Amino acid sequence: MIEVTGLTMRYGDALAVDDLTFAVKPGLVTGFLGVNGAGKSTTMRVILGLEAPDKGMALVGGRPYGSMKEPMREVGALLDAGAVHGGRTAAAHLWCLARSNGIGRGRVGEVLEQVGLLDVAGRRIAGFSLGMRQRLGIAAALLGDPGVLMFDEPVNGLDPEGIRWIRELMRRLAGEGRTVLVSSHLMGEMALTADHVVVIGRGRLIADTTMAEMVERFQRGVLVRAADQPTLAYVLSAGGASVREEDGALSVSGLDATRIGELALARGIALSELTPRSASLEEAFMELTEESVEFGAGRAA
Amino acid sequence: MIDAIVSEWLKLRTLRSNLYLLAFSVLSVLLCAGVTFLVTRGFDNQSGDDRLNFDSIGAGLGTGLPVAYFVMAALGALSITSEHATGLIRTSLVAVPRRQLFLFAKIPALAAVTLVAGQVLVFAMHFAAQAVLGDRAGHVLLDGRTLGVSLSDPGVLPGLLVAGAAMPLVAMVGLGLGAVIRSTAGSLVTLIMILFVLPVVAQTLPSPWRARIGSFMVENLPDQIVAGDGPGVLTPSAAFALLLAYPVVALTAGAVAIAMRGRGARPLVAGGLAAALLVAVTAVPAGATASALTWKPCGKELECSSVQVPVNWSKPSGRKISIQIARLPATGTHRRIGTVFAIPGGPGGSGIEDLQKKGGNFADLRQRFDVVSLEPRNTTDLGVIPFDCLSTGPWITLPADRAGYDRLAARNRKAAERCRKTDPEYFDHLDSGSVARDVEAIRVALGEEKLNFLATSYGGVVAATYARLFPGGVRTMYVDGGINQLVDQTSHVRLKYEAIEGQFTRFAAWCESAAACALHGRDAGAVWRGLTAAADRAPVPVKGERVAYSGFDFKVAAAPDVITPGPAPDFPNWQRFARAIDQAVAGDAAGFADYVEQATKTIKVPSFRGMNSTHCTDGLAFKGYEEFQRMKALGERISPNFAGNALWHPLGCVGWPAPVANPATPMPADRLPPFLGAGTWTDHAETAALVIGVPGSSTVRYNGSGHGLYLSGNLCTISHANRYFTSLRLPPRGTTCEPPAVE
Repeated sequence: MIEVTGLTMRYGDALAVDDLTFAVKPGLVTGFLGVNGAGKSTTMRVILGLEAPDKGMALVGGRPYGSMKEPMREVGALLDAGAVHGGRTAAAHLWCLARSNGIGRGRVGEVLEQVGLLDVAGRRIAGFSLGMRQRLGIAAALLGDPGVLMFDEPVNGLDPEGIRWIRELMRRLAGEGRTVLVSSHLMGEMALTADHVVVIGRGRLIADTTMAEMVERFQRGVLVRAADQPTLAYVLSAGGASVREEDGALSVSGLDATRIGELALARGIALSELTPRSASLEEAFMELTEESVEFGAGRAA
Repeated sequence: MIDAIVSEWLKLRTLRSNLYLLAFSVLSVLLCAGVTFLVTRGFDNQSGDDRLNFDSIGAGLGTGLPVAYFVMAALGALSITSEHATGLIRTSLVAVPRRQLFLFAKIPALAAVTLVAGQVLVFAMHFAAQAVLGDRAGHVLLDGRTLGVSLSDPGVLPGLLVAGAAMPLVAMVGLGLGAVIRSTAGSLVTLIMILFVLPVVAQTLPSPWRARIGSFMVENLPDQIVAGDGPGVLTPSAAFALLLAYPVVALTAGAVAIAMRGRGARPLVAGGLAAALLVAVTAVPAGATASALTWKPCGKELECSSVQVPVNWSKPSGRKISIQIARLPATGTHRRIGTVFAIPGGPGGSGIEDLQKKGGNFADLRQRFDVVSLEPRNTTDLGVIPFDCLSTGPWITLPADRAGYDRLAARNRKAAERCRKTDPEYFDHLDSGSVARDVEAIRVALGEEKLNFLATSYGGVVAATYARLFPGGVRTMYVDGGINQLVDQTSHVRLKYEAIEGQFTRFAAWCESAAACALHGRDAGAVWRGLTAAADRAPVPVKGERVAYSGFDFKVAAAPDVITPGPAPDFPNWQRFARAIDQAVAGDAAGFADYVEQATKTIKVPSFRGMNSTHCTDGLAFKGYEEFQRMKALGERISPNFAGNALWHPLGCVGWPAPVANPATPMPADRLPPFLGAGTWTDHAETAALVIGVPGSSTVRYNGSGHGLYLSGNLCTISHANRYFTSLRLPPRGTTCEPPAVE
């Protein structure tokens, strides 16, 4: 459980996070969405105690991160795969981290195996690819077997196989009842992974909803082609829908495809096409964040 | 907490670069060996007194220590800057969110590694330097240090341990700076500034600021904490506080820097207070004494003041006189140890004049000491008793019988009364006991707990008297050509004869070998013995004067020239002496009379009333006619060339009106530190007899002529004396100094 309440964070005059409130629940993968610069990383840094907020607070399991004695046992985080010393071996890097939180050495081997780096455990990190570093960062996050996991843009630099691996890992972690927060600026990626989304723009909360609701909300009606379109338009209008003509077809909203089909059947009108339409998630995301991107129509800060 | 500390230990251990860095520190050992090698090269190319001017390399850490410190500080700095450089810091802070804990958790591992490495390095540097130095290490230098020191020397082992123990502190400085600066390059540049550039800049300052500012440099602190015989003005506690202040300040700054915004006040306040406290300790003035004296400049570097003392110390509230004192202040380049008090000879010589004329000999001593001397109450030209009266006296004749002895007594008494009547109370208190009490009054006025004494010639009597009266006031006692009041008359006379006979033998040998001797080609000894024996029967007239020289007169007049031949290789005084003999054999004593007149304004040597006023009240007199007879017979037995000469001084006290105020009494040897004596061919034996009375004492014997080695600038003797004054360390018995080789 992560709770962010009234969080405000300023860098000089720039407002990076503006009165942000949301909660991340266990058992779900929560996508943390926003365009680059929206304040995702800053929020995550505040949650991890790397930044002190100007106002508000962030709690993990009901406590501020900074007050935890062995935080890695409660929260695992991958903020930046590059935040390692290239001179150490993967095993040494993890062993240093584990020891600082009283985690046994056995875990190092376990997580290395889990992320598929066991073969290169004794190699220095300097020789790792970005993908290997991402895996190492995830291994570090998993060290303490924490109930809460946070990943900042984890798929950056990964190949498709790696992306699928991460997606499955996160689903599995959530499946084990853990709280999983994953940030991304790619909505499409989240659509495949997340159960819940928190969308921010310019540091403000834009949406905090389930993935299903998100899909629902951007329903764009049903496209219908029929032999007798004028009749069908009449029938559907009478049935409570709003209908307009579009490229020789009917665009229907207010009724779902099933109801449209039933009404057409009752009148004996043959349908040549019945397509429920929704905005692509990418479009929806853009729509949501359009007004709040830095260069868009601004509010007075 | 423990977990974080162990984790930092792992971080330190798991980076190969740290190992390379530590390996790099071996450079410091090579540097020490190399620089020491250069020193030995230079040293071997010099000889004699030039070697005395070398600077000690001490334990041999000099050039290597800053390098070792830099490596340790770099290790400390890198332990945090490398985290910033790689971004690891973010991962680390997520693992250990309490930032100050994170920073301070680095300390134990860093301290342990640098402590072990530091101690190994320090000892390696020391042994490398000593190995290169070899047996040159024990060579005593002008400033009293030796060229090198060995582990068995006092203070060396603790000094090395402190220098090694400072490594972790320096590493903490690096850590703190790294936390503030964050950039590796920036941190290393700052460390180079602190450890290398600032000390070099300090070296360019004029003295004494060079040493004073240099005292505050990190690498100069360990030496000031323990051994303390090198440059630097800080007290051990001040140096220690400063050594702690460096890391405290750096770590405080680091802790503030790393703490999150708005939460930095606590470490700032705590560290700031600690640092202020430590710096306050260093600010306590070094070696300040509670002196009540005000000093006024009185020519060149000299400062003058005065102390009021009673004329008669048994009536302390009675009449007062003012004793003039002068000081050559410590030069402020080293930690001041105290005051060396120079007791002049004579009796009645002015110590202030010695400082004016011969003060340059104290240059090295003044690195650590004020040098103070006095114009003692028995100085002839003080003016209380007319100078003319004290600086003149009757001629002494050798009494042939008891009646002659009594006539001498009457003559002496009459002559003394002429002076005494102008101020009897003063005249009766010109003994060395009164002078010693004056010195004690000066010690109190200086605010010194103890004094270091440099007693020359008759100053030996004052020194021994002071040691007897105030043993607790003696830190060190160096006696140079000292008169020994304590020796019995027989031994005294015997020593005097041995000294002058030995010197006469050398004169005769020189005469045989040197064409410049007027008696060259003749047996100088036989000529002299013939002259004096004949003159005792029929005195030799001084042409143009109604005065004739007896054999006794010749011996008294000749003694100073025999004892002091003048500079080699010409020995002008011996030349003059040979010419005078030659002339006297030919029937004219003017050769002797002329130079006696130049020195005393009378054509025979007078028994100076001024000197007698001290000699006689110090009890340097015959107990009676019988003793005189015994001593006379002794001289005739053991001194073929100068029999009777040793009787001249005590004969001046026959019939003296003032009582013996300062009789010879043994010194309380068990309450005194070991003394150091130094003497030449003619005064070493008597000096040795004086200092030997205190167990553990030692002497330096100079194989040459002269009297007063320190004040005449004999560098070899000065180096041993300075070592004794500075570190209370005596040369082994039997130590000798050789005269500089003559080209």
